[in-house]
Amino acid sequence: MITSFFYRLVIIFLVITLFGCNNTDKVVDEEELKSNLVISHIEEARNTEIPNDERKAILDKAYAICSTLKNSTYKRDKINDISIGYYTIKDYESYKRMNEKSLKLATLISDSLGIAKSYGNLGIYYRTSKIDSAYYFFDKADQIYSKMPGNEYSHGKILIDLGQILRKAKDYSESESVTIEAIEKFVSADNEKYLPICYTNLGILAKFLERYEEAVNYHLKAIEYTIGTKDEVSQTLRSFNNIGTVYKSQKKYDKAKEYYNKALSYKDFLNKRPKRHALLLDNLAYVNFLSNDLLDIPDLFYESLKIRDSIKDRYGIATNTLHLAEYYKSRGEDSISRVYALESSKMSSELQSNEELLKAYQILSDVSDSEKGLEYANRYIKLNDSLIKEERLFRDKFARIKFETDEIAEKNLQISRENEILIIAILGLTALFLLGYIIFRQQQSNKELLFAQTQQEANQEIYRLLLNQQIKLEEGRQLEQQRMSEELHDGVLGRLFGVRLSLDGINQRANDGFTEARNKYIEELKSIEKEIRLISHDLGTESLPSDVAYIDAVESLISDLCDVNKINFEFNNDENIDWEHIDDQKKVNLFRILQESLQNIFKHANAKSIKINFDFIEDKINLTILDDGIGFKSEKVKKGIGLKNITSRVSQMSGVVQFLSNKDSGTVVSVSVPT
Amino acid sequence: MKKKLKVLMIDDHPMIIEGYKNTLLGENQKEYQIKIDIASNCDDAYDKILKSSQSTPYDMLFVDIKLPPSSDGTITSGEDLAKHAKELLPKAKIIILTMHREDHRIHNILKNINPTGFLIKSDLTSSELLLAFNNIVKGKAYYSATVNDHFRKMMTNKFSLDEKNLKILYHLSRGVKTKNLPNYVSLSLSAIEKRKNQIKEMFSIAKADDQKLLEEARKRGFI
Repeated sequence: MITSFFYRLVIIFLVITLFGCNNTDKVVDEEELKSNLVISHIEEARNTEIPNDERKAILDKAYAICSTLKNSTYKRDKINDISIGYYTIKDYESYKRMNEKSLKLATLISDSLGIAKSYGNLGIYYRTSKIDSAYYFFDKADQIYSKMPGNEYSHGKILIDLGQILRKAKDYSESESVTIEAIEKFVSADNEKYLPICYTNLGILAKFLERYEEAVNYHLKAIEYTIGTKDEVSQTLRSFNNIGTVYKSQKKYDKAKEYYNKALSYKDFLNKRPKRHALLLDNLAYVNFLSNDLLDIPDLFYESLKIRDSIKDRYGIATNTLHLAEYYKSRGEDSISRVYALESSKMSSELQSNEELLKAYQILSDVSDSEKGLEYANRYIKLNDSLIKEERLFRDKFARIKFETDEIAEKNLQISRENEILIIAILGLTALFLLGYIIFRQQQSNKELLFAQTQQEANQEIYRLLLNQQIKLEEGRQLEQQRMSEELHDGVLGRLFGVRLSLDGINQRANDGFTEARNKYIEELKSIEKEIRLISHDLGTESLPSDVAYIDAVESLISDLCDVNKINFEFNNDENIDWEHIDDQKKVNLFRILQESLQNIFKHANAKSIKINFDFIEDKINLTILDDGIGFKSEKVKKGIGLKNITSRVSQMSGVVQFLSNKDSGTVVSVSVPT
Repeated sequence: MKKKLKVLMIDDHPMIIEGYKNTLLGENQKEYQIKIDIASNCDDAYDKILKSSQSTPYDMLFVDIKLPPSSDGTITSGEDLAKHAKELLPKAKIIILTMHREDHRIHNILKNINPTGFLIKSDLTSSELLLAFNNIVKGKAYYSATVNDHFRKMMTNKFSLDEKNLKILYHLSRGVKTKNLPNYVSLSLSAIEKRKNQIKEMFSIAKADDQKLLEEARKRGFI
């Protein structure tokens, strides 16, 4: 962990130092350069004129570069290409290694097609050596391709491989159905390249299933698909050989001979392919032997064996020697037969070619002396048993592989079903949550609305109380004034008058020379009386109507604020406004507007004096607030919160508001509200 | 022989009665033998008037306008008392002495009672009281200068406003709003508006506002 981290650090450091101030463009160039290099190397490795070890070296180099590419389907593709290169130079281990790498990469980047391709290639690696492993990989590839339409050609290739493996495992019916499926894929992919192989496989299967006529037809059909292609001759020879074998199985030896001879007539072709040549010769010889046409027997066997010896075709030698052993056994030349049978058994067991080995044991048990013969018979029985067992095992194994994948598929299905349920549940829960949230929000906003409403009501109530308070105060004051007025008028004034009259009366009668002086004081008393009466009158007449309270509240607001802010003010209220009968909401709004405007003036206007008027014109109350401050640009400040509040309050009363201002010419706020 | 005079002085201020007494009992004692009764409230006054009507009636009544009302609430002022007195004691000379000098008050008193003497306390001096007393005793009416002024104003205006119109003007002058007038004058708002317009027409200032009306009324002495 730590070391890998360290390596990464080192790599990063190297990259930084190497590419220093490289920008991303150069990195992209680097990628392109590398990929071009990889492509050219792969191309180079295809050159068959170069010795294989050199080609391998080139491919190694190609992979070394390719592995530094960024992970992508492109990189995976190139690795696959390199693996094919290894395959063509028969470096199967490297081929396998490459495909394992590409499988890993494809899995890492979730490239299903790449995974299928790699599985297919790995299947190809195992198909000759370990058919159960091959079956496993092909089956996996088949699973993936089944889910990915549009790759019929690749899928078909996998299916024909599967069909061949199943045939080898002697599961003929399954093999047949898979092969037919492969044919369907190729047909729908409109590519006939692999059809001959398919029909050949069907032919072989039909032979094993003893549908001989069908088998011949399949082989002929296989030839048909190659007519006009470069594979025509090769396929014809293969099919003729196969047809010969079919007839041989049918014991129609003449027919078999006919086809073998037909095949052998392609001398030019066969000269270049000694293995095929030997096979055909051997097969012909064997049919001749079986049909008792012993004219050129055993020479024909030897001709074939000679070729096979020369090319070290060990499978061929095993079969060839077996045939010879059979021949000599039939001739009663047991010792010679035993020699060939032994050679065949040795070769077969080396090659694990069990069919041949079995036959060899059978011959050996016949041609050996009784003791040896018994031993070979035992070996034969044992091998036969084990072969049957193996066969069964293979089928079981395939079934198990199939079953496991089915199980996985089922599990996947179940998981996907569970996922579906989970998704539905999550969606449901989300919807529920959303619904809940929406309801919650709705309620919240309702609450807010209700709150705003109650607040407004509370505001009104406060104002009403405030006004009531003002009225009560006023009433109290008036009552007190009235009382004082009456007290002065009736009490003090009356008594003063009484005193003055008495004094006057006495003064009239007195004759001490001070009458005039006293008269002067009596006059003074009289003028005091007058003064008191005036005061009393003033007090008594100041009978204010109750609606003055609102205007009092307004005036006290203005005077309080102006006193605090040290600004002069002038306030005029039109007496024609019937404040008592104007609803509280309007009064409160006008009060608030005034308050807001005054705050604006104190905050921003820098004014020295304010003039506020309530006018009553054509059933409308006009509130004008005028200041001599610095003013503002009407458009600019229009959207301030204060002005917005005023505007909204005015529109609430379905009135009109105007803000008139210019720089350095003060501001006029005029509000007109219908009563 | 001194002429006997029976006088009832009605005033809730003993100090004032003291003043009357001090004035009248000086010089006049030589000519008249004055017997003075005192009442300080309507009940008391009414009792005394009633009693005298059944025995020796008062020759003269000094009536204050503002008095504590009678306990049964039927007599609330000197004005009411004077009305009763005029019925009970038709020969008695009634002198109204009041602090009120407002025109409509004077007007109403003159109209309702038509007293032999009408003195405004604030104008009154002891010598004037004596003068009034002597005049009235001889059967001559005596009014204070203020009251006389009122007469003069009424004469020059050639018309008179009735009590309700005067009240309207009076309350308007006190700053009462037109719409509140029904509380002060027992008329509907529309009737008041109508009367206001009539007054304006009489003042030949039709279509003028209230302020103008009051100015004019003041000028003409109705307020």
